Amino acid sequence: MSDLYFSTELFGELDRLQRQMSTLFGGFPSSLRSSRLGTFPPINVGTTDDTIEIVAFAPGIDATKLDISIDKGLLTIAGERTTSLRDSAESRRAYAQERFAGSFRRAVELPQHADPDKVQARYVDGCLLISIGKREASKPRAIAVE
Amino acid sequence: MSDTMQIAQRETGAASRNAADEKTRRLKLNPAVDIFEDSQGVTLLADLPGVTRERLEVSVHDGSLTIEAESVVPTPVNLHLSHAEIRAPYFSRQFAVSDDFDTSRIEANLKDGVLKLTIPRQEEAKPRRIEVSVG
Repeated sequence: MSDLYFSTELFGELDRLQRQMSTLFGGFPSSLRSSRLGTFPPINVGTTDDTIEIVAFAPGIDATKLDISIDKGLLTIAGERTTSLRDSAESRRAYAQERFAGSFRRAVELPQHADPDKVQARYVDGCLLISIGKREASKPRAIAVE
Repeated sequence: MSDTMQIAQRETGAASRNAADEKTRRLKLNPAVDIFEDSQGVTLLADLPGVTRERLEVSVHDGSLTIEAESVVPTPVNLHLSHAEIRAPYFSRQFAVSDDFDTSRIEANLKDGVLKLTIPRQEEAKPRRIEVSVG
């Protein structure tokens, strides 16, 4: 329980967060910029031999208003989700409001070998699929023995 | 929803699965919902990312409304998942629906992974102004 001894300074908090994330997931996007669990949208990250695949589960979003950018190896997904029903009629009673509403921003740190020039993004059935190519040099390669 | 035969069969299937296969049932996610009520009825919005119409089942049986869905994300082969915040691709949630609602007229609409259910009230259950006649 060494967490008790951490100061409440921002840096300490971030560090603690990072360590918690790494114990949870053991790797890849756990970093200083990782956000806590339960944020919107949830993200899954996977890799293939040629690409890094990122899926953001963000239903009900206008895909044209999504802001996806890569800057210095940091992929950022930002946008806003509005629920038209929420503030309309006064005679309407709300029983449950569990769905996320408002603006969101999530960042994923990409590994060194990600190629920011080879990015594809699609929005299908409420999932944002981002595919990022890897640099040639980092692709697995069979080495022939002479 | 109009096909009651099928709902009955599916429900018995669900019951037996419940007993036999409890482990796999636990892996289902509870989709986040918004529920609103106005004088016409109830509107339910549920987040079902990656769910297509074919993989969504909305059923009403014995006063309970069940949403079951499977999320399919088109991913390339040989994908090695390195970070997962959504682990189970199955969504399931149940709600009790009282007799005030006309379950035969439920409308379901799925767009961009959001399910919108409109559950109208029974005609007699709608709030109504009662005229007082002076006699």
